[in-house]
Amino acid sequence: MITLERDRMTFRFPEVHPDAECGIEFQRTLRIPDDDRDYPLPAGLGRFPLRHVDDFADRLPGKTLHRGGVVMPMHQAEAMWVNFDAAWGSSYPCAVKVAAGKVCAVSGEPWSEHLAADPQNYLVVPNQPWLDGYCVEEGIIRQFVAMPLGEGYTAEEQLTGAAEHGGLQLSVCPMKREVYEKFFGDRFGVGEAIREVCYGPPVALSHEMGLAPGGRMRQEIYDDDYGVEAWDERHTSRCFVTIANSMQWLAITGERPPTDPPTARQYTDAGLPWFDYYDGDRKAISGSETLAGLKSVAATGREKRESPLPEDDPLGVSQIVRLGPAGERAVREYPAGRES
Amino acid sequence: MTHFGPTVRQIRESLRAHDRRFSLRQVAYRIGVEPAYLSKIERGVAAPPSEATTVRLAKELDEDPDVFLALAGKVSSDLQEIIRKRPKLFAELIRELREAPDEAVFRIVRVVREGDW
Repeated sequence: MITLERDRMTFRFPEVHPDAECGIEFQRTLRIPDDDRDYPLPAGLGRFPLRHVDDFADRLPGKTLHRGGVVMPMHQAEAMWVNFDAAWGSSYPCAVKVAAGKVCAVSGEPWSEHLAADPQNYLVVPNQPWLDGYCVEEGIIRQFVAMPLGEGYTAEEQLTGAAEHGGLQLSVCPMKREVYEKFFGDRFGVGEAIREVCYGPPVALSHEMGLAPGGRMRQEIYDDDYGVEAWDERHTSRCFVTIANSMQWLAITGERPPTDPPTARQYTDAGLPWFDYYDGDRKAISGSETLAGLKSVAATGREKRESPLPEDDPLGVSQIVRLGPAGERAVREYPAGRES
Repeated sequence: MTHFGPTVRQIRESLRAHDRRFSLRQVAYRIGVEPAYLSKIERGVAAPPSEATTVRLAKELDEDPDVFLALAGKVSSDLQEIIRKRPKLFAELIRELREAPDEAVFRIVRVVREGDW
């Protein structure tokens, strides 16, 4: 079961274990330069708004309603990262699949309903705190950048030749209860004593948005220490995230989309920090050869004689904060952006 | 005395063990109160703070604001507003669900539809 509260999705599996929960949200961020240099991680600037597609049944095309899930706004050429958050103190491990346009962002393979070990097509949360893009090499991703479907920029179009799905797809599968109890015993989080349930005219989406590979960023995607047999695939939940551009979002929801994020240069000039995350206890998977062959947005733009990325100049980055797993709740948000 | 203060201290101290930014002084400044006041709250000498401060504190410690408010003996103003709009209906609903197990509550909570894709 998936609930939506304050722009954050919580995947819950009470039938597996009372603690089996996984929170997922999408963080606004700046777009790093797409210049084939490797950049550190930029901060999060607050959550993207998320709404049930069912709330706008009279304004969305049938195809979008059929997919269910949620809708979120992104400006063209805006970047985002996925924040995996063990829900309110729970640290129950889950295997999470992330795809864009039904292309797996970890393996580059077409979407499949099942977890695969070789090549690994999922992330292990909470070991993996974030995902910023397509895993193209060991320790390197290409940033998720929103581009209109149908113009040839998205990974989906590059790999399948079709502009059919767009958006973002998620599935979450909890660890088997017996495996959890073997590894973690009867462990309870700090907040366990106070645990409560917390929930907490059709718009033409002819130019739906998809995610394209942007600039290169240093981020390791970790190998599954537990093994693919550890996950309870009988209880998988999945969600389609439709991405609407700013105008569509306003027409669908009546809400103004978030303002444009700062450019990478504005961010750096303001002295705001960049981040490196390093977990020496874990092994990074090698990147996908399929995804390594993707052309970045800038490279596709050059071929098309277009300039899809405004303000994309190379950048020198000096203020880098190193984060590690010891803090368990490593915060990668600019403080002013924490209030979302 | 509520469990609010000791719980806040326990959570903050567990974070501080890994990250100095969660010292009493730094947390107090980030949520906009004096360190001495936060210290009194944590020790249970002072009553839990206002709703706004409690919510800021919960977010700062990455905890659920509604749970923190409940610990502080409060109900968030947005929930109060929801109840005030349809008092009879929501009072009845809450009383009906008072003893219900979590699974039963989950069944009436609106879920994100998984759809077909």
